[in-house]
Amino acid sequence: MDFAFSDEQTALRSSARAMLERHCSTAVVRDLVERGIAPEPLWARMVGLDWPALAITESAGGVGQGFIEVAVLVEELGRVIAPGPFLATVTQFAPLVRECGTPEQRDRFLRAVATGATGTLAISGPAGDWRPERAALTARPRPGGGWLLDGSVHHVLDGGAAEIAVVARLDAGSDGDGIAAFVVPRGAARSEPVQTLDLSRPVTTLRFESLTVPDERVLGTPGRCAAGVGRAVEEATVALALEMVGTCQRIFDTVLDYAKAREQFGVAIGSFQAIKHKFADMFVALERARATAYFAALTIAEDDERRTLAASMAKVAAGDCARLLAQEGIQTMGGIGYTWEHDMQLFAKRAKQGELLLGTSAQHRQRVAELIGLTADASTAVTAPVPA
Amino acid sequence: MRLHYDQATEDFRAELRAWLEANRPQPEEMSREPSQSSAHLPPWARTWQRRLFDAGWLVPGWPPELGGRNATPVQQMVYFEEFAGSRLPRALNPQGLSIVTPSLIDFGSEEQKQRFALPSLRAEITWCLGMSEPGAGSDLAGLSTRAELADDGFVVNGQKVWTSGAQHADYCLCFVRTDPDAPKHKGISVLIVDMRSPGITIRPLPQLTDPKQADFNEVFFASVVVPRENLLGPLHGGWSIAGGSLAHERGMLWIDQASSLERTVGRFIELAAQALPDGRRLADNAVVRDQLAQLYIDAQALKFMGYHGFATFARQHVSPEHSVLKLFGTELERRLFLTMTEALGAAAIDVSTPTGRRARDEGPTAVRYLRSFAGTIAAGTSEIQRNIIAERVLGLPRR
Repeated sequence: MDFAFSDEQTALRSSARAMLERHCSTAVVRDLVERGIAPEPLWARMVGLDWPALAITESAGGVGQGFIEVAVLVEELGRVIAPGPFLATVTQFAPLVRECGTPEQRDRFLRAVATGATGTLAISGPAGDWRPERAALTARPRPGGGWLLDGSVHHVLDGGAAEIAVVARLDAGSDGDGIAAFVVPRGAARSEPVQTLDLSRPVTTLRFESLTVPDERVLGTPGRCAAGVGRAVEEATVALALEMVGTCQRIFDTVLDYAKAREQFGVAIGSFQAIKHKFADMFVALERARATAYFAALTIAEDDERRTLAASMAKVAAGDCARLLAQEGIQTMGGIGYTWEHDMQLFAKRAKQGELLLGTSAQHRQRVAELIGLTADASTAVTAPVPA
Repeated sequence: MRLHYDQATEDFRAELRAWLEANRPQPEEMSREPSQSSAHLPPWARTWQRRLFDAGWLVPGWPPELGGRNATPVQQMVYFEEFAGSRLPRALNPQGLSIVTPSLIDFGSEEQKQRFALPSLRAEITWCLGMSEPGAGSDLAGLSTRAELADDGFVVNGQKVWTSGAQHADYCLCFVRTDPDAPKHKGISVLIVDMRSPGITIRPLPQLTDPKQADFNEVFFASVVVPRENLLGPLHGGWSIAGGSLAHERGMLWIDQASSLERTVGRFIELAAQALPDGRRLADNAVVRDQLAQLYIDAQALKFMGYHGFATFARQHVSPEHSVLKLFGTELERRLFLTMTEALGAAAIDVSTPTGRRARDEGPTAVRYLRSFAGTIAAGTSEIQRNIIAERVLGLPRR
């Protein structure tokens, strides 16, 4: 296993960091959080740099890079808690279309993404379950052609995206694996914005009442989509974990600077052992989350058989890290960490919201337990994959 | 970034694997004559280490004359992966091979290298390490064992403690105070002490798991004469040796621990999925499932952290960042055995199963829990590791 980045990947990271430090200060984040101003210029800049096109094949108008390049970008975006449609478009919508769509659909929708069209993914119910078989919506064939969608789907990132990839369950008794995927345009479903903990990452609830989806927007074959949806969600989960790592690193850097500068009793508070040991534990949590997330990114990039397990492990480690860093980030700052005006609240909320989306640590530990053969009922144990 | 090595590296692995298979000591001889301490080499162990040395598989990163083959850092990592997977002992005198010998090579005279380093590599002599004292544990620089320079050499008086393998070692690499008036880091020297010298008394200190098993010892020095030529490095210049001796390939020893933990977690997962003699199945308990899943993830994460660290900061050397692996790995090992002890409940207090001396991979769970403190205490406690991370990696002020 080799975790060394290539020179090109390192260059991508430094150019991304330079761009984001210049054009995505927390003033941009606060414009959205406090004034509802969408970060359009930032997104336009990303499109201009071909970021949405990065991992799309050249045949569909993309740059043809892999998931590690996406991972590097997402970690950098997390570092500046970038608002905007990148995460939903590139790590949720595009993978679902790629995994479930026909060649014609892949070309149609991904070519648009490569030139800046936005997209997102709608799958979970109110409890946030990310597994395809727990999809919140139901789909049934429409007499005379097309499909009908019903139900409410929650926690849709960037609900204002142009295209929404939707996962739905088919009626019991239907053929195949019972899972279907569709692409519906903005405005097709009733959209209800949610007032979120992290206002820099708004989410939407979408309500479908017998919405008709025409055949050309039915991805692949209904009842044959479970595996593709699973893979797309794994990719989205690993990307979110990487974004959380970036945000946690920002929390860590911020609070470390503070502990070195803030003096009490005549010394920097970072000289107190109680504070030092907190930092050591935070550093361990960060290293654990980052290494586990990049391992998972590698399993996605190389389509390794361990990817399902690795994605859940990455979300556990990122969630554990976010829980610790969001908490100690605020606590170690003392009173200033409790204020609206200090940016710590923005970072902590982003990390916390990431921890809760696409499955919490506890939910993913349960998934890991199933995958390694630990189940309450011995007869349902899955064979453990070969460990790395 | 990639999951797999290139073909040349895999060829290196295959060559080592074939060699190990053809040359390994046999399980019967290993169990017939187990090693009794970390400086005791039964005849099979001497033969084995000599064979590794001659074939250039003892310290692969070193040149052939030192038992290596100038292996690249990635090849060295593969080497440790294979050894960990083979479960063969690599060094029966680990402090001799991984700490003393590199120090002799880095700081010793040509004569000292010939007289001490090569015989150590060839398993002709074994070592203990005279660092900790009753008054100098985590604060090593506070050591007070004195060495005064007289006509016929140094005269050493004082006491060492937690000296692993002292009862079997031929020599001790001994940290002594040669200048009591200098600041504490600047008055320390390092001596090569023959453990058969008159005036040395060794008292084994059995560990908490068994009154008959001792790797630790107290070592008392009463006017022990050490020849002047046995000074390693400059007089009063021992502190840099203390730092330097912990560098080198110890930077890859996490591979062994990660591999061992992965195996142990795997066995506990199997155990949890089976019915115990009392009829319980631990995996039926949701709390146990949750805890075991976390332990599984952490054992995997330790490995990923090691590879990530290798790629980003270390290559084959120890750096302060290694404290992260030491802290996380040893605390994980302790939590693993604690979790299983508690999952077993009252059944865990029956420790009548025989336990092996060095058996990290065997023995009753509750005993292994106690043994796991060796990791969180030895070579810098977890608390010291946290200080190192905070001060040397993160740059927080020392006070």
